[in-house]
Amino acid sequence: MSTVTTTVALEHRSPVRTLGWAVPALVILLALPFVVDQYQTILLAYGLVMGIAALGFNLLLGYTGLLSFGHSAYFGVGAYTVALMVKYLGVTSMELFLVGAIVACVLVTAVFGIACVRYTRIFFGILTMALSQVLWSLAFKFFWVTGGTDGLRVPTPTLLGLVTGKGDKIAFLATAYYYYVLGVFVICTLVMWVIVSSPFGRALQAIRDNEVRAEFVGIQIRQYRWVAFLVSGVFTGLAGALWVPLNGLTTPDIMHWTFSGEIVFMTVLGGFRSFTGPIIGAIVFNYLKTYAVGYTVYWQLLLGVVLVVLVLSLPTGIVGTAERLWARWRAR
Amino acid sequence: MAEVNRRDFLTGLGVSVGASLAALPGLPSVGVAHAQGTPKGNIPDHPYKIGHMTFFTGPAAVLGEPMFKGQQLAAEEINATGGLLGKRKIELLKADENAGTDANVKELRRLKLSEKIDFFCGITSSGNTPALGPVAEDLKCLTMFVDGCTDFLFDKAVPNPHYVFRTTNIQSADGITTALAIVQTWPKSKRIAHIHPDYSYGRNAFDHIKIVMKKMMPQAEVVSEGWPKLGTTDFSSHITKAISSKPDLVVSSVWGGDYVAMYKQALRYGMFQKAKFATTLALGVAPHALGKDHPEGVIAGVHSNYHFTYPGGDKWPLNKTFVEKYHARFNEYPNFQAEGAYTTTYMLKTAIEKANRLVGGWPDDDAIIAMLEGMMMAGPAGYVYIRPDNHQGYKDAMIGFSKNTDEYPFPILDPARIITIPIRSITAPPGWPKGEPTSTFTWIDKTWPTAKV
Repeated sequence: MSTVTTTVALEHRSPVRTLGWAVPALVILLALPFVVDQYQTILLAYGLVMGIAALGFNLLLGYTGLLSFGHSAYFGVGAYTVALMVKYLGVTSMELFLVGAIVACVLVTAVFGIACVRYTRIFFGILTMALSQVLWSLAFKFFWVTGGTDGLRVPTPTLLGLVTGKGDKIAFLATAYYYYVLGVFVICTLVMWVIVSSPFGRALQAIRDNEVRAEFVGIQIRQYRWVAFLVSGVFTGLAGALWVPLNGLTTPDIMHWTFSGEIVFMTVLGGFRSFTGPIIGAIVFNYLKTYAVGYTVYWQLLLGVVLVVLVLSLPTGIVGTAERLWARWRAR
Repeated sequence: MAEVNRRDFLTGLGVSVGASLAALPGLPSVGVAHAQGTPKGNIPDHPYKIGHMTFFTGPAAVLGEPMFKGQQLAAEEINATGGLLGKRKIELLKADENAGTDANVKELRRLKLSEKIDFFCGITSSGNTPALGPVAEDLKCLTMFVDGCTDFLFDKAVPNPHYVFRTTNIQSADGITTALAIVQTWPKSKRIAHIHPDYSYGRNAFDHIKIVMKKMMPQAEVVSEGWPKLGTTDFSSHITKAISSKPDLVVSSVWGGDYVAMYKQALRYGMFQKAKFATTLALGVAPHALGKDHPEGVIAGVHSNYHFTYPGGDKWPLNKTFVEKYHARFNEYPNFQAEGAYTTTYMLKTAIEKANRLVGGWPDDDAIIAMLEGMMMAGPAGYVYIRPDNHQGYKDAMIGFSKNTDEYPFPILDPARIITIPIRSITAPPGWPKGEPTSTFTWIDKTWPTAKV
């Protein structure tokens, strides 16, 4: 935990400089469906969805200094809310799904948050994990409601009341749904950027760096942590809701703590000390796991080796390392 | 419903011990021995890519991996004669089912869209077919699941399949076969303890065993239920719970590496001395995965499909040659998954050849599908029939009793006491309305009589 609590300044570049790389990146993302095949677009949509989840997760880890091992719960709440809305209410509108997922996640994270933010470090981690396992076992055991391990199927939703996936579902996922995910992703990134740059975001970093001092300055630590927990959970839940139509069904696997571990993995992979780190990490991890599973039956071993190498030699993740190399290159 | 005599009803169903098979002339069968005519039209010579997904890692691999080997054997035989229609060599792409349902969905998409597979095959777990079936339909990917045999797939997940088929027996047949074997062997059992894996397969087995017992053994009551999670290695709490309920009979559908762990732990607790034991899938694993410490004389299920010792001797040469070839190639004996994948590959080959004779050139998927619908083939296990309405494979169900012999270093099914049941006697007929939990369940509930105690 020492790495989390040590003083690390998260970079905040000027908005103009940020636009310098964000706009080209966005243009590339917008143009992609015209360039690459359907499969690559769908795969990237998965990556963007996980990027939103990791972005939310990092508000706690990178900015508040709390390592949650239970974010699978909120991802799962988002996903299962959508599935249950389909099963019991017959809803097909993606916007209603997103609203439903946000409401459900606010309720769940508000309650879980009250219990969790009273603790920090390993106690916080264990508590979040335990609570997520409670939700997992509910999804697993209440099979007459949740479908148990079979999960619940979710048909293609209607986007903005206009676009449906009737007919060619693959084309729908690779174009219309990809752009929808991209839109939500951009909005989420902007909102998160505003949050971490706001006085509230600064206060969270103050709490992370020195709890006692922050309290003396007059920051109400527990309330701030609770709000951060809430926001973090809602982002992850939103990702869960976006993920379900992409996957076609939701199973208890996404509520299991091992999935929380994947969210931690992707954030560490990208670098939790930078704003963009979790996004890059999520996208890279998605490719890594997909191709590891596809090309070798020893995929677990491969992922394990990557994690070990990462922690030992690239503790600042992909983005942190890239920035360091860039700085060294410029200093020449 | 009128009450009937139990024995008369079993005889009426066709439940028999040591039944024999008779060959039908003109029926396609596995193997490349029979000559085929020259294919019509121009056949491309690029490889025919088959994506094969099954368990290569984890406790389920002892049951799932032979599936790949079965397909590999068939593919090698076909490739040795030049390939499909003599031109297109089969190229197999492996994928590990153990990656989890969500990763499997992604992997199927990758195989079809990125690797451009022509055919998808495999799948062991019934948790995965309902997830992958709809994806295969979306992808318009010709698919034959070997197992993952849940009724749910064609009852609900893909009620009107076009691209998706499945070859091994439907899951309800598995529970019913075991239940009928119990009814025939230990009809007076009263106190029944259940241990089933906590997912769709376990609940399906439990439901169907219960409904048959309700009809055939009305005196029986469920005295304990244990639901270990799939992939569990510690069964002690479930075993002690079952023993403490003082059952006459313990019934289990635990399978694969889980089953191996369970029976070894049950030995330590003396469970097999304290109660009789019946299973749906004990001998479903690769045969060498069980030791000679496995209890003898228990009802040992093979997923109601196939055990390599039956039909034995020279009675059914298709089986004899298959077992010999498989053993020569892999130095082990096949399980029902290996047989399923082997037969599936030959069904595909036959459908392609028939379609070629009709339309010429390389047939498109729709032509192959039309040939697969209603196909009947003689495989190592006997006749398999693909019902056109639901794309499900049907073959007569079988089960038996575990026995140690000098011939093999592992237990086999007692050749003198094989139980066979005509599949139509234990599955809902075409057109029967979709029911809850399965169509076959409601069919038994509504149409089977109750036996006199």
